[in-house]
Amino acid sequence: MSNNDNVQKENDGSMRAPRTVGAGLFMILVGLFALYHSWGLTTGTTRQLGPGMIPQSLSVLLAICGGLLIVEGFVTRGEKLEAWKIRGPLFILGAVVIFGLVIKPLGLLLAAPIAMGIGGLASSETRPREIAIFAVVMTAFCLGLFKYALSLPIPLAPWLIGY
Amino acid sequence: MMELVDNLGTGFSTALSLQNLGLCFLGVLIGTVIGVLPGVGPIATIAMLLPLTFKLDPTGALIMLAGIYYGAQYGGSTSAILVNIPGEATAVVTTLDGHQMARQGRAGIALGVAALGSFFAGSVATLVIAALAVPLTKLALLFGPADYFSLMVLGLAFAIVLARGPLLPAFCMIVVGLLLSTVGTDLETGEERLTFGMPNVVDGIDFAVLAMGIFGFAEILRNLENPEVRDVARTAIGRMLPTREDVRRCVKPVLRGTFVGGLLGILPGNGAVLGPFASYTLEKKLSKRPQEFGSGAIEGVAGPESANNAGAQTSFIPLLTLGIPPNAVMALMVGAMTIHGIIPGPQVMTKSPELFWGMIASMWIGNALLLIINMPLIPLWVRMLRVPYHLMFPAILIFCCIGIYSVNNSPNDVILTAFFGFFGYALYKFGFEPAPLLLGFVLGKLMEEKLRQAMVLSRGSFTTFIENPVSAGLLFLTVVVVIVAVLPSIRKSRDEVL
Repeated sequence: MSNNDNVQKENDGSMRAPRTVGAGLFMILVGLFALYHSWGLTTGTTRQLGPGMIPQSLSVLLAICGGLLIVEGFVTRGEKLEAWKIRGPLFILGAVVIFGLVIKPLGLLLAAPIAMGIGGLASSETRPREIAIFAVVMTAFCLGLFKYALSLPIPLAPWLIGY
Repeated sequence: MMELVDNLGTGFSTALSLQNLGLCFLGVLIGTVIGVLPGVGPIATIAMLLPLTFKLDPTGALIMLAGIYYGAQYGGSTSAILVNIPGEATAVVTTLDGHQMARQGRAGIALGVAALGSFFAGSVATLVIAALAVPLTKLALLFGPADYFSLMVLGLAFAIVLARGPLLPAFCMIVVGLLLSTVGTDLETGEERLTFGMPNVVDGIDFAVLAMGIFGFAEILRNLENPEVRDVARTAIGRMLPTREDVRRCVKPVLRGTFVGGLLGILPGNGAVLGPFASYTLEKKLSKRPQEFGSGAIEGVAGPESANNAGAQTSFIPLLTLGIPPNAVMALMVGAMTIHGIIPGPQVMTKSPELFWGMIASMWIGNALLLIINMPLIPLWVRMLRVPYHLMFPAILIFCCIGIYSVNNSPNDVILTAFFGFFGYALYKFGFEPAPLLLGFVLGKLMEEKLRQAMVLSRGSFTTFIENPVSAGLLFLTVVVVIVAVLPSIRKSRDEVL
């Protein structure tokens, strides 16, 4: 009897592919988000499609696909949800955001070593001395390449030399 | 025929100018250097090196980018053979026998055969491009909006079918890509769509921002979580030039690989990815010693490598003649062309013949350069392969940051890229393969434009897509492609291949 219960439990209700279900939920979320924000746009007629027609129909289509993925996740066997790490995304993407924030006021001379220093924290194998030396060398290399060889209009050190 | 010679003449005189030759050399060299690094695929490589070309004239820039592209391709094969890490999907097959050869002390021969096979395939493919360019461009000019739209639908269908992994997630990625392409000012009414008041997306999301976020940064995050085991071949590299016996064994695989790869490369929607797999399967079937495959059969390197390179070249055909990029790398090329003010499509050939033919000629030159520079530089690649990842990723990070900033000199773009990096990370965690997204994004704008034009022309009737013979044929083909892919038996063999 108890055996029977177990089997039934497995057949109805339990997720067999949690990652696929997660993927479906994610797609529904993206679809609904886009639909919500394109709601106010004119849909138009088939003769004269408005600006809203395409985004809205794609959002709905995406949400439907998300729904199908969820169904698939319940029906077929698949992979488990993977654990999300915090360290990598936090320091890598954090470094990128900070680079974006400081590049104009501080210039490449400081923004590059700052970004590399923060980014370096993403890996447990990074050694402080090593990354410090590497950051200095790479900054010098980038200055030489992008600023002097390619003369890209990227600020160098506005606080020091005005550009 | 005379026309072909004439055109190639124009091309070579452009490509052989000192500046363009230098740029081609530089592109091939840098592309190989970055491509050799494990964990950096061609998409990330091109995205990262895009700013190097900003100051160049469009012809020089495209010659250099094309050089970077096949340099990265070849570099990927090098790391596949030496460390058993395929730089990208198409090099997977090379790891099977190439790395085994390296372990037996025949790494040099594997690399040599790969280079020679690629050179031959590249040369043939260049001729094919040159021969097909004119007729296909003429054909493209006959296409109406409805035909264009249907052709792109077919391309996307192929992209879904040929993407790695299950079909439904790949379809989702296309839809997300199409959706992202609608961000920005509407072309007809000037209304802002999904811009969230961000000034840097009023003209649409920049292609470099999306590509570098989803491929550049997300790739770093992925590599940090899965520290790859590098199995750098410890044995000597050995001689590079194949023996007479090796050559004899390789001639037919190279010829067949070139044919198969070149043919598949022309298909819209990343047909090139199938080339190496098809060639490997073919060689194994035809071989008198199929049991040797997987333990260092030279045919298993020569065939797929030729197919790979032939496909990499011929996949320029849909881009150059129809303006439709067949895969994510070509989508990046569109991005690069747009930055330089060139709209890819049939008009490029007539409007700027030096650019068009110069680029085609430079492909052949680039392949020759690859052969020349790679032979002596292999010891250097081996040393580079020992650079630990924890020193590589800060360098990649800073290159990407500077690169994105330089596209529009906009700090906001950098921050937006970080957002797409996170989005790419989420996609990876949910098991999505993001390459089709990029293709959807690039085709999205053009598809919407053509759809709206077609609807205006047909006065709001969807039947225009079926009444028009070209469009109807393309849509019929789309349906066939999808049905075939969903059939259980085909699906099984597709899963095995991809």
